[in-house]
Amino acid sequence: MWTRIRDFDRMFQAMDLLHSRLNGVVQNDVQPRLPAAAWGITESGPRTNMYDTGETLEIRVEVPGIKKDDLNIKLQGNYLEIRGTRKAESQEGFLTHRVERGATSFTRSFTLPSEVDSNKVEATLKDGILTLVLDKAEPAKPKQIAIN
Amino acid sequence: MSERQDLTVREEALAERNRQISTVAPLVDILENDNEILLFADMPGVDKKDISINIDNGRLALSGIREVKPVGAVTWEEFGDVEYRRTFSVPQTIDVAGVNAELKEGVLLLHLPKSESAKPRQIEIKAG
Repeated sequence: MWTRIRDFDRMFQAMDLLHSRLNGVVQNDVQPRLPAAAWGITESGPRTNMYDTGETLEIRVEVPGIKKDDLNIKLQGNYLEIRGTRKAESQEGFLTHRVERGATSFTRSFTLPSEVDSNKVEATLKDGILTLVLDKAEPAKPKQIAIN
Repeated sequence: MSERQDLTVREEALAERNRQISTVAPLVDILENDNEILLFADMPGVDKKDISINIDNGRLALSGIREVKPVGAVTWEEFGDVEYRRTFSVPQTIDVAGVNAELKEGVLLLHLPKSESAKPRQIEIKAG
């Protein structure tokens, strides 16, 4: 009888070990559930970054899958408006299994922190990121002041 | 004993590397026709060389790392460095050798062709 209990004990120990090892495997190798990127292009517009280099303002916008022609940028004084539409990825003769990206349109507008020169605006679109470089207007640029 | 220590050290190093950059699942569209399965994944800002696609044992693992290189002072920042990672189960009928990928405007498009034997076939009845 006692030997049998010891057998059970040994078996449980082995199972405990296996259990803890499996836990380790799950924690290290398999991410249980990644946070969904629920931050595609939503109703509130795409996500943006703004940088200030002193001479220029740089705005970057996440616009995956939007073509150059589907983007519309308007600048009026220090008011900037970015509009875009994305068509759904529907193709002839294809069955859809999963649609998370979908078609959207957005408008996002900003009031820029300083006056900009509307003639010197550079917009580039690369890898789904729209980068706008706006030159600040002369009075808003930083100036070095020499001490007499 | 020494072996076990080695293992724990390595685990810590991995955890550290993971903490530096956050991981998110990219949004995907999956379409299928008789010849192939198409997979679209949104990965804005990811360079072609930073994407890895692995198919192993019926699992397709996508990973793309984006680095946002800030310039000057940050006024606001809503997106940052991120790793897009997602794993899918791939049916046995996919011709792994024929898989190809393209990256356009921040969207990764994978073509997963079906192998010849898996394509639907019209069977003709011979006149007897």
